[in-house]
Amino acid sequence: MTGATIPEQATPPEAEADATVMVRAENVHKSSGHLEVLRGVDLEVRAGEVCCVLGPSGSGKSTFLRCINHLEKIDGGRIWVDDELVGYRERGGRLHELREKEVAAQRRSIGMVFQRFNLFPHMTALENVIEAPIRVRRESRAEARKRGTDLLERVGLADKVNTYPGKLSGGQQQRVAIARALAMRPKVMLFDEPTSALDPELVGEVLDVMKDLARDGMTMIVVTHEIGFAREVGDSLVFMDGGVVVESGLPREVIANPKHERTRAFLAKVL
Amino acid sequence: MSTEEATTVRARPEPIKAVPVRHPGRWVTIAVLAVLTAMFLHVLLTNDAFQWSFMIDNMFRPPIINGLVQGTVLMTVSAMVIGVGLGVAIAVMRLSTNPILRTVSWLYTWFFRAVPRLVLLAVFGNIGILWSRLEFGVPFDTQIGQLFGIDGMELRLFGFDSRDVLTGFMAGLLGLALSEAAYMAEIVRAGIQSVDPGQGEAAGALGMSRGQTLRRVVLPQAMRMIIPPTGNETIAMLKDTSLLMYVPVSMELFFQLDAVGKRTFQIFPMYVAACLWYLLLSSILLIGQYFLERHFGKGYGQTERARFRLRNLAAETGGGAAGAGGTVGGTPDGTGSGTGGTPG
Ligand SMILES: Nc1ncnc2c1ncn2[C@@H]1O[C@H](COP(=O)(O)OP(=O)(O)OP(=O)(O)O)[C@@H](O)[C@H]1O
Ligand SMILES: [Mg+2]
Repeated sequence: MTGATIPEQATPPEAEADATVMVRAENVHKSSGHLEVLRGVDLEVRAGEVCCVLGPSGSGKSTFLRCINHLEKIDGGRIWVDDELVGYRERGGRLHELREKEVAAQRRSIGMVFQRFNLFPHMTALENVIEAPIRVRRESRAEARKRGTDLLERVGLADKVNTYPGKLSGGQQQRVAIARALAMRPKVMLFDEPTSALDPELVGEVLDVMKDLARDGMTMIVVTHEIGFAREVGDSLVFMDGGVVVESGLPREVIANPKHERTRAFLAKVL
Repeated sequence: MSTEEATTVRARPEPIKAVPVRHPGRWVTIAVLAVLTAMFLHVLLTNDAFQWSFMIDNMFRPPIINGLVQGTVLMTVSAMVIGVGLGVAIAVMRLSTNPILRTVSWLYTWFFRAVPRLVLLAVFGNIGILWSRLEFGVPFDTQIGQLFGIDGMELRLFGFDSRDVLTGFMAGLLGLALSEAAYMAEIVRAGIQSVDPGQGEAAGALGMSRGQTLRRVVLPQAMRMIIPPTGNETIAMLKDTSLLMYVPVSMELFFQLDAVGKRTFQIFPMYVAACLWYLLLSSILLIGQYFLERHFGKGYGQTERARFRLRNLAAETGGGAAGAGGTVGGTPDGTGSGTGGTPG
């Protein structure tokens, strides 16, 4: 195993001081090719909090979410999920890359919902939901099926259990995707523009499921253009532009009187 | 259209009786084809060189049927089974993050796709020249022994006489299967790469390992892309078993037909018999391919397209074996001309 060199030196987390922090990002840098996509992102999301991320296209929102579950390797900074360093282990003052198995184990507790659903087309709705619990969590088939059916019922799809994704509407597919992520009993859920690929009349049904999740106390980071959702459900709002967090605060306050010029310009366009 | 119009039942109009567009070109084509067909049939029936009754008497003789079953069919099946299995492994190696595996896989496909099958089979047929015995044990044992001053040290576990192991059939199987694996690896790789990368990411985000992702998510979806060209590969393999003559493998359809032809000095009728046998076998494979494709198209709303293809296939096979044979597509090294020019 090679010791990875991470240029930015970050301070260790004060885990004991604030035990309720679920996701913490410090000075996260990421470039792809010549382009610096993330240029020092800081973020703190407490357990049970719904954090909405806003920002213009290309500002690095998706990239940042993907860094949180290590789908992308970061070039600098640190990310902790539930006080566990993501993707690395710090030993003897050096960072060591985690093995594939260890990364997979970390990802189990981080649910992710994609803009384009990414359901497995050759499996029915229920098979999509129970695949990872059976293969990864080693649940028994009967147990997984029971829980999977409950989860599909919870997202309002009790009658679509044996339907293939190709025969579901976009909103139904996205709800199956949410159930699939929940089946792994994640500590935190990441949503990357979950309603952007949907017809307007289908957006509501997905947002309702997410509101329901938020009420149940799930920690959520939601990249979205739905200002209404951010204002109503969000506990905090983060505005990103050019690979950095420009402004953050309570959703109502940020939306009502943005302090930053770029935030103001963006909100003027979206509202 | 207003709603009122849509809801009221209207009298059905009289069906259109228009004068169809004329296609004089089609009639000319039909006439030309009719003349050509007549000429062809005339040659078939009147030219004595065909020796039809001799051909029919000889093409079902036991050695030929044995060659067909134990050589051609068994060899096609075994070479494809090994070729597909090894091909998947090589494709996965090629797409792995390990640069060593990637290089090995690249070298393998490079070598086995660059050397013609015919040449490869000739080489494998004569590989016994390199080693008279095949033995398994500590590699470079004699050299290591010399390093420690021991002469003739041999650390061998077991061994075979290479003429026992590399019989004609084994040498031929090795040649065909290894070469097939290279082609299958390219097909599997294209299939894997055709799967949306979002699928792998979704599986990864669920905590599935790379192996699980490949087996459970990516390969089943890649199958739809992999099956049709694999069908073509199988048909090509069936035809390439005729190259086994150069290993040589005697228990094989074409070798046997050729032998009868040479023994009786009736070469041409036996070559016609070979054409008919290969047409029949290829047509059977085409039908099998259709059912496989239909199976793996499940859940994708592709049955419509598959049904359409069946109709085409029915039309082709219904129009005579020649029609089905025409869709098979040749192998790059041109089996027909290669074996046709063998000196007696
Ligand atoms: N794999 C990649 N290769 C090259 N450039 C990339 C890659 N992924 C992202 N980028 C670039 O990084 C920048 C940020 O991309 P990202 O997808 O994170 O933005 P975003 O804020 O999610 O935008 P959107 O609202 O359009 O989804 C973009 O300029 C994009 O072109
Ligand atoms: Mg994005």
